[in-house]
Order: sequence, then C-alpha cells, then structure tokens
Amino acid sequence: MTTTVDQPVTGVEPLLELNMVSRVYGTGDAQVYALRDVSLRIMPGDFVSIVGPSGSGKSTMLGLLGCLDIPTSGTIIVGGKTVTGLDDADRTEVRGRTIGFVFQQFHLIPHLDATANVETALLYRGLNRTERRQRAMDALDSVGLSRRHDHRPVQLSGGEQQRVALARALVTEPKILLADEPTGALDSQNAAIVMELLTNLQAPERAVVIVTHATEVADAAARKVSMRDGRIVSDLTRLR
Amino acid sequence: MKTFRDLLRVSLTGLFARKVRTLLLLLGPMIGVAAIIAAVGLTDSAKGDLKQKVNQLGTNLIEVAASSSFGSKDPTLPADVVSRAQTVYTVTGVAQIRELSNIVVTPYKEAKDKYSAVPIPVVASDSSLLGVLKVQLISGRWLNGFDEQSVSRSAVIGIGLARQFSYLPGEVRTIELDGIRYGVVGVLSEVELEPSFDNAVFVSFKSAKADFVDTRDDPIPANKLYVRSKEGAEKLTADALRVAINLGGPDEVTTDIKSEALQLAAQSDQQIKLIVVSMGILASIVGGVGIANVMSISVIQRSAEIGIRRALGHTRAIIASQFLLESLFIGLLGGICGVVLGILSIFVGSAIAGWVFVLAPWLIPAGVALAMVISVIAGLYPSVRAAKLEPLETLRLG
Repeated sequence: MTTTVDQPVTGVEPLLELNMVSRVYGTGDAQVYALRDVSLRIMPGDFVSIVGPSGSGKSTMLGLLGCLDIPTSGTIIVGGKTVTGLDDADRTEVRGRTIGFVFQQFHLIPHLDATANVETALLYRGLNRTERRQRAMDALDSVGLSRRHDHRPVQLSGGEQQRVALARALVTEPKILLADEPTGALDSQNAAIVMELLTNLQAPERAVVIVTHATEVADAAARKVSMRDGRIVSDLTRLR
Repeated sequence: MKTFRDLLRVSLTGLFARKVRTLLLLLGPMIGVAAIIAAVGLTDSAKGDLKQKVNQLGTNLIEVAASSSFGSKDPTLPADVVSRAQTVYTVTGVAQIRELSNIVVTPYKEAKDKYSAVPIPVVASDSSLLGVLKVQLISGRWLNGFDEQSVSRSAVIGIGLARQFSYLPGEVRTIELDGIRYGVVGVLSEVELEPSFDNAVFVSFKSAKADFVDTRDDPIPANKLYVRSKEGAEKLTADALRVAINLGGPDEVTTDIKSEALQLAAQSDQQIKLIVVSMGILASIVGGVGIANVMSISVIQRSAEIGIRRALGHTRAIIASQFLLESLFIGLLGGICGVVLGILSIFVGSAIAGWVFVLAPWLIPAGVALAMVISVIAGLYPSVRAAKLEPLETLRLG
C-alpha cells in the first residue's frame, strides 16, 4: 500500500470534481461546517470508499457528489459540467444522466414490482414501453434476479431488494455509481453477494463510490478516502 | 408526448396500487355530483309530464278576443279579421270562432228539463281551429269544407261533453241545440290550452247563422281568434295583433298568451332545487377538502418514493404533475360515478313517484367537470408540496 495524495493526471478528464467545497448548515452563531474546503477528484475506473465516523461529513459529501445538494461555497464539476451554477431542473437532468444511486434502505417503490422499479429510472426519457421493459429485464438479469422480476419489494428478501436497487441504478448506464452503506441493512451472506456485484461493476469508464463505515466494505475498494470533522484526512490508493 | 404518456401510466399505477384509498377519495366528488344531478333531475322530473305537454303544445298560442269596453253586449271582431291578423308577419296560423250564447244543449229532446239549467257553450268555428290548437280527435272527423259551404248541421263535441252525455267513440248520435237536431260527426280529445272547449259543441259558421244568430252579416262576425306565432315572438305578435286588428282602437281587442299558465305550472320548484344543489356543491367541496387532506398525508407517506424519483432524475415539475394527474383522475372517475349514481336515483325516484324522467343533457359533462375542477384544486397543494420535498431530507442517507 502506497500513499498518493493526487491522482496521476494523464489527459483523462475526471468524472467528478470537488474544488474547495464547503457546506454550512444554519446561520449566524448556529453555523455548523459539515464540510470545510474539501477537494476531491473521482476518475474513470475508480473504486472509492469514503469512510469516517458519524458526523465526519460523509453523508454531506454523498449528497454533494450525487447532485442532491449544493455547496455553500466551492464548485462541483460533473462530467466536465459545473453543476454548482445550475438550477434544480438542470441539476436533476445531470443527476439522472450521470449518476446511479444505491441506498442502505434500498428505497424501492413498494407498490411496483421489480421490473417496474427498475423501469422507474428510465421514465421520461423518450423510450417506448417495450424498450424500457427490455432494458429493465436485462439489468435484473445482470444481478441474477430475472426469475423474480414480477415480485414486489415485500416479496423479496433484503439481499434481493438491494440487487433490484442495484439493477435500477445500473439500467441508465451511469458514469458514476454512488452507494450509501449498501450492505448496512444486510446479513453477511447477502452483503457478500452485493459487494461482489459492486466489485464486478468496476469498469474503465465508470467510477464506483461507496460511503460506509464498515471496514470490510471499505477494504474492498482500491481507493479509500477517510474523513473527519468535515475534512479529508487521507486519500489512499492501493497499488496492484 | 412520450413524457405525458409515462406520467399517465405512473399516475394510474399509483391510483390502482392503493385501491381502497382511491375508492375512499372517489366518494367525495361522487356523492357531491350525484346529489346535484339527482336534485336537478328529480325537481325537473316532478314536473316532467307538464314539461312534455308544453313542448308538445308549443308556447306560441295567442288568443285574441273582442272586448266590451264600450259597453256593447256582444262585442265582435271586424269581418276581415283573419286577413288583418295575417298581415303580422310573425303569425303562422289563424282560426276564428264565434261563441254563441244561451243555447240549450241536450242529448235528445226528452232530456230538455234535465239539461236546460246547465250552460253548455256552443261555438261557431272555422275548419282551421283544430290545426291551430294542435288537438287530436278521439273519433270521427272535424268540421270540413263541406260544412263551411252549406248548412250541414254537423257538430263536433268536446270530450267532457261526450262523457257527460255517454257518447261512445264512433257511435252515430245526434245532439239537440235549441231543439234543432245536429249530427255528431266527431269527438275532440282534451284541449289543454283551452279547457272550456272540453265541454263545448262546435258547429260551422253557416249552420250557426242559419239556426241561431239573427243578423244580416254573412258570415256572422267572429268574437275570438286563435293565432300561432313564430316561437319566441309571442309577446311581440300579441302587441302587433292588437294594433293590426283594431286599427286605432286597441282598447277593444285583448290578447292572451294561452301557454303562459301551463309554462308557469311546468316550472320546477326553484327553491328546493337551489337548496339541494347547494348541498351537493357543499358535499363536493367537503369531498375536495377530503382529497386535499388524504393527498397531503399520502405525500408524507410517499416521501421516500418522491425522494427516490427525484434522485433518479425526475424533475419537480414531473413530480407535481404526477400527483396532480392522480387527483385529476380521482375527479374524473368520481364525476362519472356520481353522474351514473345521480341518473340512477332520478330513475328510481321517478319510477316510485310516477314522474316522467327528465334530465338536462348538459348536466352530465357539467357534473364530471365540476368533480374534476374541485379535485384538481384540492390536489394542487399536496402536489406542490410533493414537488418541494428535498430528496436529501427524505432518503435518510447513512
């Protein structure tokens, strides 16, 4: 294991870039810095874990990386586009096009079956129904759930639900996959399956970012960003 | 377009996934619309038979009578009254009559003592009266051209008189007018616009002159006209007729629009209608408040769904439209169910009370539209609230 502070820049554009980003909650005396002057680059092919204790700012970081939130100061560039100046509708568009989400609580829509849940990510993109369905089925197949495509979330185990969520995140072919404690609600067996799927998702043109405080999950990632008190304290890449 | 189709599917799926909740939401607009439709329909149906009659008989019959303001005992109209009336261009039909007084009518000679005390009107009439009044014959025929050309002593009697004298339809009978025997050639059915004709005897002007009126005028002058005008021009026509017939002395002619009383009787009870319609509108509004309430709770319950949709790239506008469409469909479905329920209750109510089913057709789209408008207004606030939810706050990131 070797320490590198900066990624080698060899003509490859970063997928996601945070430049001196701060996020402040509250005003006046009640101001709290959740993030303070953080800079980070996520490159294509990265498999990053963001770790840190509670209150270290990793959730805030996740919101900003996922274009779900805007920083108080600093700029965020996603796919070469500065999103900090965009309005909500444009930011939503960038998010839908470039980022896939996996959450600890799965967040499947309860009244839809697995296929329809995956299809939700493809709505309002000008696809016709058969095309959408086909892509959803393919995504479910890639996580090994094609046989349970017509099951609703309540009919699926936690591990299966997380795999549906993974299919939903993948179906739009995002450049960046953001996972928030993806194994946090799973038993060790299911956690292993989900982690294996996530690891296999690594691709030269895609980045996988996992926010976690589980060490075995963090250790699976080649790059580990540690946070404390709203700052990045280390950014380590394991060399092969 | 494809975006709208996707929205439509998402909204409908959302509604069908929660059937009980959707049904409960439907109840509000449904009951409101049903109450309004039933209120209007039942108050209209209560007078449905009269309304039908007004439509059948028309509202354009005008009676023109010679009046006796100058004290003459039997005022009459000018001899050329029909052609004068026809100079009014809104007139579409004219019939003249002369009411004859003091003629004793009996079914046969021997019954004279029994009937002389009962005054039965005898009317000299021209052959066009039947068409102008739009009355049917129960049996036989009306006075015709032959009767008008000669002293034929043919008579047509009203239905009331036929019953009183026990005349069977089609029976060949005679009737005694001041002891002169007339052949009864026909029986009129009920004359709704001139009930006094139900007990009258109709003879031709020629026969009347020959047997009952001592005058040198030929034909004997009429004292009443029945005029049909163009629909909607009754009042103007009546005013014009007074001038045209009397030429300078309007005091001596009076006009009366015969269908006015019938029209008045056929009017629905406006107060009851207003009260029940107000209650229906109130029910719809309460239903709307219910929709706003349940939808607001639903937005909170579905905040995770909204958050995930926003994370997946659905814009605020899309989220708002999704919820707004859901309430629009609730209005549409509730409105349709309400209209059906309302129509059913009019059917049942009319059948029980023996009324004629009446429903103004415009109430059907109006009822559905009202339900939709109320539902959309009710859905506005929850939809905006749904759109304003921040995905970060609803997704509970770890």
